[in-house]
Amino acid sequence: MSSRQLIFASFAHEEDLLEGIRALRRADVKIVDAFTPYAVHGLDRAMGLRPSPLTWVCFVCAMTGVLFALWFEHWSLAVSWPINVGGKPWNSLPSDVPIGFEMAVLLGGFGSVFALLGLCRLFPGKRARLATPRVTNDRFVVVIEETDAVTTPDFVHALLEPHGVVEFEERLAEEKVPW
Amino acid sequence: MNGLGFLSGSQARLFTLAAVVGAVLVALTVPLSSTHAWGNLLIASVYLTTLGLGGAMFVAFGYVTGAGWNVAFRRVPEAMAVTLVVCGVISVGVLALGMHNYAWHAHGEAGTLWFKQMWLSPQFWLVRAVGYLALWSVLSLLIVSVSRRQDRVGGTRLTIANGKLSALFLAVSAVTFSLACFDWLMALTPMWYSTVFAAYQFAGMMQATLATMILIGLALRAPGRPLHGVFTTEHLHDLAKLLLGFSCFWMYLWFSQFMLIWYTDIPEEVAFFVPRESGAWGAVTGMNIFLNWLLPFFVLLPRPSKRSGKIAARVAGAVLLGRWLDLYWIVIPALHQAHPESGSPLVGVAEAGSILLVLGLFTLLVSRTFGKANPVPRQDPLLEESLHYHL
Repeated sequence: MSSRQLIFASFAHEEDLLEGIRALRRADVKIVDAFTPYAVHGLDRAMGLRPSPLTWVCFVCAMTGVLFALWFEHWSLAVSWPINVGGKPWNSLPSDVPIGFEMAVLLGGFGSVFALLGLCRLFPGKRARLATPRVTNDRFVVVIEETDAVTTPDFVHALLEPHGVVEFEERLAEEKVPW
Repeated sequence: MNGLGFLSGSQARLFTLAAVVGAVLVALTVPLSSTHAWGNLLIASVYLTTLGLGGAMFVAFGYVTGAGWNVAFRRVPEAMAVTLVVCGVISVGVLALGMHNYAWHAHGEAGTLWFKQMWLSPQFWLVRAVGYLALWSVLSLLIVSVSRRQDRVGGTRLTIANGKLSALFLAVSAVTFSLACFDWLMALTPMWYSTVFAAYQFAGMMQATLATMILIGLALRAPGRPLHGVFTTEHLHDLAKLLLGFSCFWMYLWFSQFMLIWYTDIPEEVAFFVPRESGAWGAVTGMNIFLNWLLPFFVLLPRPSKRSGKIAARVAGAVLLGRWLDLYWIVIPALHQAHPESGSPLVGVAEAGSILLVLGLFTLLVSRTFGKANPVPRQDPLLEESLHYHL
């Protein structure tokens, strides 16, 4: 079981956090994650995060939904037990479209929500592990990992000092941490 | 900027040539079939008018919702809105010129309901058309002039005033646009009716409006052009996103209209779709769906393509062609149904003429009106927000 040396740096303002993160990235310091009371505009870009894979999950789920619905309607109404509705042909595509649309929306929606929960490792009854209790109120926290001998707390502190870091703390995190 | 607006002299000559050639081509087909030639003129005039009305509605939506993102390039839809005056006059001319081509006029096919007969009496019909266009023109000119006055006066008072004016305009135009669609397009097949027809036309109008704004915005953001550094990738992204949304909305309404009629299979209702499904018109129907929904949907779905000028411009071009085809698909089969003597569809000269006419005339008009005001609403309180807009 290995442990990681983590630094928790708190800021009082979102602009400070953004500037601090930019300074850290310029110095090639490894940022584990950032925690904010609300979605901070431009944070993803400042951290250099890759685009979320959720859009692709949604697209694939929606396509699965529409194809499954169209196949199932065709199979159930025209192949397995042909049903004559209003004298229409058995394999009537127009009547299959609304259900295909609904299934695309349903699977796309559910798929995205569950993929989001999975990606964020959220589940019912999960205990909150806060970087600092005030992160739900008025603190903006960035978590940094001490990856090498250069990334010392003093070095990081010196980097963040000009950007108004208000709390600075070193912690030893056991394995299986979410960040 | 010169009196031509954002076009250079040679570009303006090119677009003038396009408009003149277009008009001549349509005129040339009159001896072959005046009904068919007029149908193409009707398509052109509805296309032009709804581009102007769409621009005015886009401006009004911005004011009513208190949006900030669209302020930086608002002069583009404002310029489109001002073209309503000229396009409205053209439309009245075209409608008056070809009133006899409507089946209810030619064959007295207006049914036996006294209200419908009264509604489709030629004088009332034409007076209404003048009324709609006058209302739209006056209200959009008012909104645009308030916006331009703010360039000199500044402050927030005029933004609030335009919010109220825009709400009035949207309420008025929602009703009158629906009636105009019924009068000009749906009445081509007077015994057929569809309650979502106006909403379906609204979707098509907004699609074309957004596509036009994307193309003008992209053309004007090049270095040295009026919107350089003003029309950003973020604005493009949002416009492309709206275009994607309106494409889906258009398809949704198109299909809603189709499916209910297909399902109930009532003769007077399916009479609209039967001629449009068979033969060459079936291919036009397919092409219509491809250009207006299938292509924009799958191409614009990924984020990078909404932010790419090249891809967004191509999709916008396809959608503008799709809008023309959608109107063609409504107008021409109806005319051929009502006037079998006008012959089979002449896909060619008159159609090319109609497209060239729209392209040339609209570009000239919008460029000229754009040049009449500051390219950016420089005193708008929301301008800074719009310039620094990030998605």
